[in-house]
Amino acid sequence: MLIKDVICPFCGCLCDDLAVEVENNKVIDVKHACKIGAAKIRGHNRIEAPMMRESKTDEFREVSYDEAINEAARILVDSKRPLMYGWASCLCEMMKKGVLLAEEVGGILDNTASVCHGPSALGVQEKGIPTGTLGQFANRADVVIFWGCNPVQAHPRHMSRYSVFAKGFFTNKGRKDRKIVVVDVRKTDTAEMADEYVQVNPGEDYKLLAAFRAAVADKADVIPDTVAGVSKEKIVELAAAMKGAKYGIVYFGMGVTQTRCKYKNIDIAVSLTTDLNAYTKFSIIPMRGHYNVTGAGQVFAWETGYVNGIDMSRGVPYYNPGETCSNDMLMREELDSAFVIGGDAGAHFPAQSIARMAKIPVIQVDPFHNPTTEMANIVIPVKVSGVELAGTAYRMDSVCLRMRKLVDVDFPSDEEVLDKILAKVKEIKGVS
Amino acid sequence: MQKITLVPKEQFKISIEAETITPDNFAGKSAQDIGAMIAYEGNTPRPLSELFDITVDGSADAADVKIEINGNVARVKRIGEGMSAGEIVVNGDVDMRCGALMRGGSITVTGYADSWVGREMRGGEITVKGNAGFYVGAGYRGEPCGMTGGKITVFGNARDYVGEHLCGGEIIIKGNAGILPGVSNKGGKIIIEGDTDMPGSEMTKGTIIVKGTVTEMMPVYQNEGIETVDGVEYTKYVGDVTVDGVGELFVK
Amino acid sequence: MSELLIKNAVVYDPINKVNGEKMDIAVKDGKIVDSIGNGADVIDAAGRLVYPGGVDAHTHIAGSKVNIGRIMRPDDSRLNNKPRTKITRPYTGYTVPNVYAMGYGYAEMGYTTAFEAAIPILKARHTHEEFEEIPIIDKGGLTLFSSNWMVMDAIREDDLDRVAAYVAWGLEASRGWGVKIVNPGGGEAWGFGKNVAGLDDPVPNFEVTPRQIIRYLAEANEKLNLPHSIHLHCNNLGKPGNYTTTLETFDICKDIKPKRDRQAVHLTHIQFNSWGGNHWGDMESKGDEIAKYMNKNDHLTIDMGQLVFGSATTMTADGPVQYANAKLLKARWANGDVELEDASGVTPLSYHPESYIHGIMWAIGLELALLTEDPWKVLMTTDHPNGGPYVNYPDVVTLLMSKKKREEAMAKIADLTFERTSIATIDRELDWYDIAIKTRSAHSKILGMVEYGKGHLGVGADADIAIYDLKPDETDSTIEYEKVKAALRRAAYTIKDGAIVVKDGEITATPMGRTYWVKSTAPSDAHDRMMADLKMKFKNYYSVNFANYMVQDEYVHNPVIEECGYA
Repeated sequence: MLIKDVICPFCGCLCDDLAVEVENNKVIDVKHACKIGAAKIRGHNRIEAPMMRESKTDEFREVSYDEAINEAARILVDSKRPLMYGWASCLCEMMKKGVLLAEEVGGILDNTASVCHGPSALGVQEKGIPTGTLGQFANRADVVIFWGCNPVQAHPRHMSRYSVFAKGFFTNKGRKDRKIVVVDVRKTDTAEMADEYVQVNPGEDYKLLAAFRAAVADKADVIPDTVAGVSKEKIVELAAAMKGAKYGIVYFGMGVTQTRCKYKNIDIAVSLTTDLNAYTKFSIIPMRGHYNVTGAGQVFAWETGYVNGIDMSRGVPYYNPGETCSNDMLMREELDSAFVIGGDAGAHFPAQSIARMAKIPVIQVDPFHNPTTEMANIVIPVKVSGVELAGTAYRMDSVCLRMRKLVDVDFPSDEEVLDKILAKVKEIKGVS
Repeated sequence: MQKITLVPKEQFKISIEAETITPDNFAGKSAQDIGAMIAYEGNTPRPLSELFDITVDGSADAADVKIEINGNVARVKRIGEGMSAGEIVVNGDVDMRCGALMRGGSITVTGYADSWVGREMRGGEITVKGNAGFYVGAGYRGEPCGMTGGKITVFGNARDYVGEHLCGGEIIIKGNAGILPGVSNKGGKIIIEGDTDMPGSEMTKGTIIVKGTVTEMMPVYQNEGIETVDGVEYTKYVGDVTVDGVGELFVK
Repeated sequence: MSELLIKNAVVYDPINKVNGEKMDIAVKDGKIVDSIGNGADVIDAAGRLVYPGGVDAHTHIAGSKVNIGRIMRPDDSRLNNKPRTKITRPYTGYTVPNVYAMGYGYAEMGYTTAFEAAIPILKARHTHEEFEEIPIIDKGGLTLFSSNWMVMDAIREDDLDRVAAYVAWGLEASRGWGVKIVNPGGGEAWGFGKNVAGLDDPVPNFEVTPRQIIRYLAEANEKLNLPHSIHLHCNNLGKPGNYTTTLETFDICKDIKPKRDRQAVHLTHIQFNSWGGNHWGDMESKGDEIAKYMNKNDHLTIDMGQLVFGSATTMTADGPVQYANAKLLKARWANGDVELEDASGVTPLSYHPESYIHGIMWAIGLELALLTEDPWKVLMTTDHPNGGPYVNYPDVVTLLMSKKKREEAMAKIADLTFERTSIATIDRELDWYDIAIKTRSAHSKILGMVEYGKGHLGVGADADIAIYDLKPDETDSTIEYEKVKAALRRAAYTIKDGAIVVKDGEITATPMGRTYWVKSTAPSDAHDRMMADLKMKFKNYYSVNFANYMVQDEYVHNPVIEECGYA
């Protein structure tokens, strides 16, 4: 059986044109997806049953779902500062349960944006964000700037579907209708295929962006001869190219969100984009990583008013990245338990944070074995969202789509597990 | 005069949120009253009597209250939040958001003050004898103004974003400051006696004086030549030009 | 509780011409009934004011614009914080409340139905995700069609039936209730940073004019026999001198014969479009000119878009206006253009009484309501949260009911306001009947919700009832405005489908409401032509596949569907 219009549950591109061949309730072929998307859908060795261990150096022993769920609930109720982290590979329907659980246990609700595009949200809070849907850029953009991101590697089909090769209403010659510029600290694969590559000194994007703003405002006389390794001449030339665009778009990634100045890089990139709108049309958009990290931010925002790093311990959500995000707290050894779901803390957190996590009880809800499993005390396997479970996800441009169920499996969904943990938590606390 | 002494009973690991520790709240209260006030250890309410040994001497209005905290409160946040008068002395380190929203009175910290000391301060005075964290005298996310009045002095070093969104008041860092002091400023005065980098980005108004070394200047300032301020010669810059700024940046 | 009797209610129900009558209201199984037996629960209204549950025909409560407002504004989310209780989730936010505060806030004021003013079809699923989490109130939404490529291409080819077929399909795809038009054509021009200058300025690359867009959509609306008329945000909003565009726009649908007993066009937040002068310096009110037109014509209705001083978050599909505001005020700016469909912008700002511009805007909203004779023609709205948050509705009511209150407010407003507007000369004070019309009856009638039992208390209506803690017979609303405001802000009882959800201004229950949407049909040949064009656009220009586009049943748990179509 061929299932068409399948939406890929891997990256923020949320490609929705996949076709998956399913036979005897097994995925046997995935068409149109990139390699990593196909691999996700095909699946790999999964955790077969819930497991628990007292100490992280012990072997895991297999337990029932009820036992694992009950112990997880007990740990959360006993915690003064539990972290509930991940969410980005889950569907929106269950995130709502996560918010409820975090409220009930008075914990910290955080998602993978904290180690990824959380700074972008902080930039948005300073300046806003002139943006649009990906089709808008595909149909109109003639100047395309990739700043601190490498879609060839990280978002493989982005360029063909949206940013570089796509043929749109006003861009019907595709690649030929576009000037591609890459700004990065080294010549990436994306830079190799660009029309222009600008090498910026590591950690100096902020100053370069400020210089661009000065050039765009015709105040280039204050710019020194070189900024961040880029000549003043080149800065002035590129500023003119930006102003001369019919429609410019800036795609940005970890190269600016996770390097020196972090959210200020995004803040000033948004300001540059806004400045350019006085001359022509310009937009900017973050290249979100996980396929539903955008959804995590959206759900958290409409439920609590904030996108990540939400401290529920006082009964009212409190948000202050730098104070309330996972690593902020782990570095200070402030958490007394961690619940990791749909996100791989073990893979993405800094070593010091992981060392801290190794000292507290860790509950993992995930279909697959990953570095977080190494430091878990309780592991609860669930359906793979977007393959074995249908539900809602948000693309990097906040367009939301319904993921399909392709095969049936005999695992609970993460939502069912959360419902049970929540019920047990309430039972232990004696609330209805 | 009313003097209250608090000595922490434990080494707190999970932060205690103790916005209840202000001269305004303690004025005219007995040790028992104060002991019954609630602070939060994560999600768990704990009365102050469980956390501190409390002694109270006398009774007075807030302006004549002195609170002395003797011991490690590196994990006690929000001390002095919103206070309008009186004095707090912390003989030790203090956690984040000390003196946030302060309106008057004074806070002295003999050790280290973690990030966001004096956040959104309106008045009063904060002195940190040791080092300070990030965002000294800064604002809350999304607010146009952080500190609007008062004075903060840090004798040691401060981390990044000193006086972010400063709209009024004065901040003095005797040591070094991290990157981007005075970012998005609309007023007020920042003096950094040590080194810093990228001062005054997106400043529209206000004054920043740097006595130490600036290795990285923002490429958005107009050099106006040499000017003397309080007997010291500086290069004066005006900007940030990208925001039509008329802020004054003095670099020695 | 399936049976409820409200005794001694002083009822204002203009749809049923009830004007302050003391009566009992019988409720059974969620509906108003003639009479009930003796076993019913009883509420003694004791002579207090009883209105049908409030209906808000134009407010921004759910979807991508609201959420980017939240994401951008932790400074707003930190306001209006209430911790969770056994019954309620935490409240956050003043201009952009979280979904819980959104529903609770309306219910606390005795409102039971609210309509989202603008749904972009590509992002409609998001709107419904939020709808499904807003407690208590019933909802619907208006779908954007005004800068849509499908619409414009069909107009250019003079294919009205194809326009109608797309509207029918678009309403189903978005589960929308009606046709929303915002700065017609401008959303497409904004795709390249431009705008349309007037009704006859052709949209670049599409060769149709705003006038044509309005006209074709209005005619399609009637061909489909939709319950609501087209709902229109005029071109040139927010520009001094725009009132001439507004009056011109008013004329466009003058000769349209609505299929139903309602207006041919509803124009929204007209305050922002009633400006005279040529620039900010000589800006003045033309509220009187607009009201004059309203008094002479019956084919249209409007809503105020009243300004409330303090913080606001502007959010509309009028991309150019949002950018212009942000640039002028050096404010944060979130723009969100939707491919093939429309624009949008979100800009936080504050309104200050010291500003004569804001003073004029404030005055105009009131002028529109007070100078238009027929109270049914002008709805009370603030275009939440553009003019100000909906929690300020009680304050706006007192401004309409009390000249003394207006004078108190005017004392704090810049003097120049009173040279540029006529507000200081207006004596009219609306009464309880008028206010009922402007806050529930007319909203329901204009939307086409009366037959769905909204906005009135006749037998068969939904038992959505608000009891306020004041006695109309003992309260002088022209003087006791503080009492009026306090009473309207916290209902003594809000009853939804016959169940008490608010008591003394506190939430007591949080049932989930319904979502009203329209499923309409156009002739099959027109539908086929439309689908051919649509499929081509999906193949070539949309960034999502056709099969993944429409809102699915899973997103609307309690639908109420109106079915209609060509005669």
